[in-house]
Amino acid sequence: MTAVRAAPAVAAGGVRRAPASGRARRALTGWGFALPFAALFLVFTAGPVVASLAMSFTDIRSADLREPLAVEPVGLDNYTRLFGDELFLRAAGNTTIFVVLGVPFTMALALLVAIGVNAGVTRFRTVFRVGYYLPVVTSIVAIAVVWRFLLQPDSGLVNSLLGLIGVDGPKWLDDTSLALPTLIVMAAWRNLGFAMVIFLAGLQAIPQDLYEAARIDGAGRWAQFRYVTLPVLRPTVLFVAVITTIGYVQFFEEPFVMTQGGPLDSTLSAAYHTYNQFGFGNYGYASAMSYVLFLVIVLLSIAWFRLLRSES
Amino acid sequence: MTARDRVAAAVLHTLLTVGLVVMAGPFLWMLLSSFKSEAEIRQVPTTWWPRDWTINGYRELLGRLDFPGYFTNSVVVAVFTTAGNLLFCAAAGYALAKLAFPGRRALFVVVLGTIMVPSIVTLVPLFVLTSNLGLVNTYAGLVLPFLAQAFGVFLMRQFMLSIPDDLLEAARIDGAGEFRIFWRIVLPLCRPALATLGILTFLASWNNFLWPLVAATTEDRYTLPVALALYSVGQNRARYDLLLAGSVVVVVPVLIVFVLLQRHFVRGIATTGLK
Amino acid sequence: MTRRTRAVGALVCALALAAAGCGRDDAGGEAQQGEQVAEGKASGEISVWAMGTEGEKLSTLAEDFMADNPDAKVTVTPVPWDGAHNKIATAIAGGQTPDVSMLGTTWMGEFAKTGALDVVPPDLIDESQFFEGAWQTGVVDETSFGVPWYVETRLLYVNKAVAQKAGVTEAPKTWEDLKAAVTAFKQQGGAEWGIYLQPGQTGAWQTAMPFVWQSGGDVLDGDAFALDRPEVVQGLEYYGSFFSEGLSSKDQLRGGEWEPRFVQGSIGSFVSGPWHIGVLNDLEGEGTYEIWPMPKGPQAATSFIGGSNLAVFKDSDNRDAAWKFVQFLMRPEVQVTWYRTVNDLPAVKSAWDDPALKDDELLSLFGAQLEDAKAPPSIPTWEQVSAAIDGELEKVAKGAASAADAANAMQQKATSIGTGG
Repeated sequence: MTAVRAAPAVAAGGVRRAPASGRARRALTGWGFALPFAALFLVFTAGPVVASLAMSFTDIRSADLREPLAVEPVGLDNYTRLFGDELFLRAAGNTTIFVVLGVPFTMALALLVAIGVNAGVTRFRTVFRVGYYLPVVTSIVAIAVVWRFLLQPDSGLVNSLLGLIGVDGPKWLDDTSLALPTLIVMAAWRNLGFAMVIFLAGLQAIPQDLYEAARIDGAGRWAQFRYVTLPVLRPTVLFVAVITTIGYVQFFEEPFVMTQGGPLDSTLSAAYHTYNQFGFGNYGYASAMSYVLFLVIVLLSIAWFRLLRSES
Repeated sequence: MTARDRVAAAVLHTLLTVGLVVMAGPFLWMLLSSFKSEAEIRQVPTTWWPRDWTINGYRELLGRLDFPGYFTNSVVVAVFTTAGNLLFCAAAGYALAKLAFPGRRALFVVVLGTIMVPSIVTLVPLFVLTSNLGLVNTYAGLVLPFLAQAFGVFLMRQFMLSIPDDLLEAARIDGAGEFRIFWRIVLPLCRPALATLGILTFLASWNNFLWPLVAATTEDRYTLPVALALYSVGQNRARYDLLLAGSVVVVVPVLIVFVLLQRHFVRGIATTGLK
Repeated sequence: MTRRTRAVGALVCALALAAAGCGRDDAGGEAQQGEQVAEGKASGEISVWAMGTEGEKLSTLAEDFMADNPDAKVTVTPVPWDGAHNKIATAIAGGQTPDVSMLGTTWMGEFAKTGALDVVPPDLIDESQFFEGAWQTGVVDETSFGVPWYVETRLLYVNKAVAQKAGVTEAPKTWEDLKAAVTAFKQQGGAEWGIYLQPGQTGAWQTAMPFVWQSGGDVLDGDAFALDRPEVVQGLEYYGSFFSEGLSSKDQLRGGEWEPRFVQGSIGSFVSGPWHIGVLNDLEGEGTYEIWPMPKGPQAATSFIGGSNLAVFKDSDNRDAAWKFVQFLMRPEVQVTWYRTVNDLPAVKSAWDDPALKDDELLSLFGAQLEDAKAPPSIPTWEQVSAAIDGELEKVAKGAASAADAANAMQQKATSIGTGG
């Protein structure tokens, strides 16, 4: 470990002394910085990923744990089976709704809060930052208990408030058409703080003189946001978009603690279904499912990269 | 400040404060309820303010656990994991953002790709690997798999992209080496990003449950979340008083780290001078 | 092959899939014989994994064992229930298993199939001293891979005040009696729900299967699934009728939510295991409830049996000593001590003659029911089959499918999953 940790200094030092040609020098410098990470990453992340990908082309089950050698290669069988798996298709549909509604909703909320806290709040700034971050650190069990209590049809706070304005509140979590939207709101609430923290850091990196210049040019608040904040924040927005998309395609914890995928599979997500298949010991099949999700995430990420490509 | 600005500020503060209540409510319930009896926690409808304050949950939990040992394990794992990620991800992020080198694009794509693989499917291969390296039930086995995470590299790269190239060029023309540029110019400019990465990595490492559970095979290597799960959730029943007391105990260090590091969400001094 | 080369080989094999070289050698389903355990005292190191409270307190029994066997050293590692299945699965994959582990009864089929478990040695432990239903949980393909350590079964918990108001004074004897009692709880007893039965979702099979057994149905007939038989349909219809007649909530009440309602009397009764005595007492409900045996259905009065088994791993370096420790835990007097330590109900029948259990009014009811209690089949695919059953049960409870359609769907899904044999 010590050797690895010392590596960047050594590599970079070597670069400084090297009088080599530009190209080789650049390669040496670049890899010098990237190498310690790349080495660890290759062994501990990429290795298991490749192994799990290989598993998805076999019929490996938990019964094969001791003799993983003895599995049969089945080609793309696991993948083709997926498209006949009624529950998987249902779960994929739920996940799509969740991602399409949840990602923009969460990001917009987080950006609004971040801008508000960054620009508008002068006192108790720490209180606001910590407060909005609390759902991220609160245990999911406590969150589940409180949310279930708030959403209780007969005595919950939400329906009590609705009752004040004469609305008869529904069964939020036990109605097949409401359970998923309810979980989307809950997920946005839970993940807002995470995105906010990153946006806050990004906003702080915007040079103040850009705003001054814009103001001198007569730009209003909206124009400043549109032509200064957003363009400079673009890499940050891209990061949050990709990470939130990854998190939401792998949407799992909320239905796990709140609805167990019910009622009648209306909140079963693709990641939840994968988790179940893994639990059943269907490792090959569960891996195949994961790599389908992986492919979806890759496509969505490419879309984000295209959409938020920096203007050059 | 004009009158209109003041009204806008008041509206903003009101909105943010209402939001704050909504966001912090469940945390406060968790905190308050950890001082209730099991019966009161489960009472329907629930109470906010404890009727009879009790520290029984904490007392039982801490009495049954070798708390200092687990806490030390958690600190060691989280601190090394966080420090490693800050260093390795910043360095690799810098290379990916600002240095043109062959294989850069490929490296980035591969790194990004692995963020997207659900961790549950790599659990078994990762454990077999760790076992073959002889690292089961060691600190190294708990830390190494998370020491260089793709997430951190992606974060650092994205932040470093917004550092103007001419600033680095100017330094190069002045004869500064790459390491010096990285250490003296880039890192200070990245303080908010490093603080963010620190907060997020620490949180993830501190709360990690599944890996420390499988990678530690004797009790003296357990981390806090593993130990706290021992008695709160049984085969057929959960003890909410222990669960909530445990949740509070485990969240305190995370909040301290957050409060300390969020101070760095301020402009690096050099940033203001950027053109 | 050593563990290391095995794992490396697996990677190579997985990577070179095009090669047809790697194939599974199918072991037949014949009964296997365990090896004898050497005579004499146990010696050497014995590592034991046990979950939750059992893991915390087992060291006290281990002390007694080490006093008897001075050359043995038992190390107990407590494992949280949450994630225990994953921990054992990965340990098997990485060759990092302990000598002995506690295993959930429904995991036996899956872990036995990996070949990681040692066959119970002949003559070491007498099968007949255990409750029949409990012993069967450790039997996979006619071979015993685990020994029942402690057991639990499900009975009817009834709110005293509600029953009194409803004029129900004695335990229902038949299905009709139970239905009448629960109806009275709702109509005269003032309960919003006469009973709480889990309306589908994870684990609901534990609620519904006893009704199926009581009507004479079962999961398997020989090696084939028998979930579409008329007896099964009859059991599911009975289960479903509690929902369609408005006696039990169609909406799931999660763990922790319904016990307070039971104590308050808005839920008249529920079916559960002995741990609910502790839960209700924690809710200051002591003395407010009674426990009744299960009613007799058309064929039987069978209830569900659960609990945990102990198994020894094949990779154990100290197998004989490990089995001796297991044998020690099965002594009737040790089983009684264990009950006194953590309230786990003994799997060994003769332990129930101890006054601590025999004279306890509530517990003796559980003891009686254990004589007629059944576990699901110990097939490696049970977790998946049971999830499919849970999904169909939800449809029955919510009125989205008839009992007959659900039974057919269960049969079809279970058959396509297979018995993993």
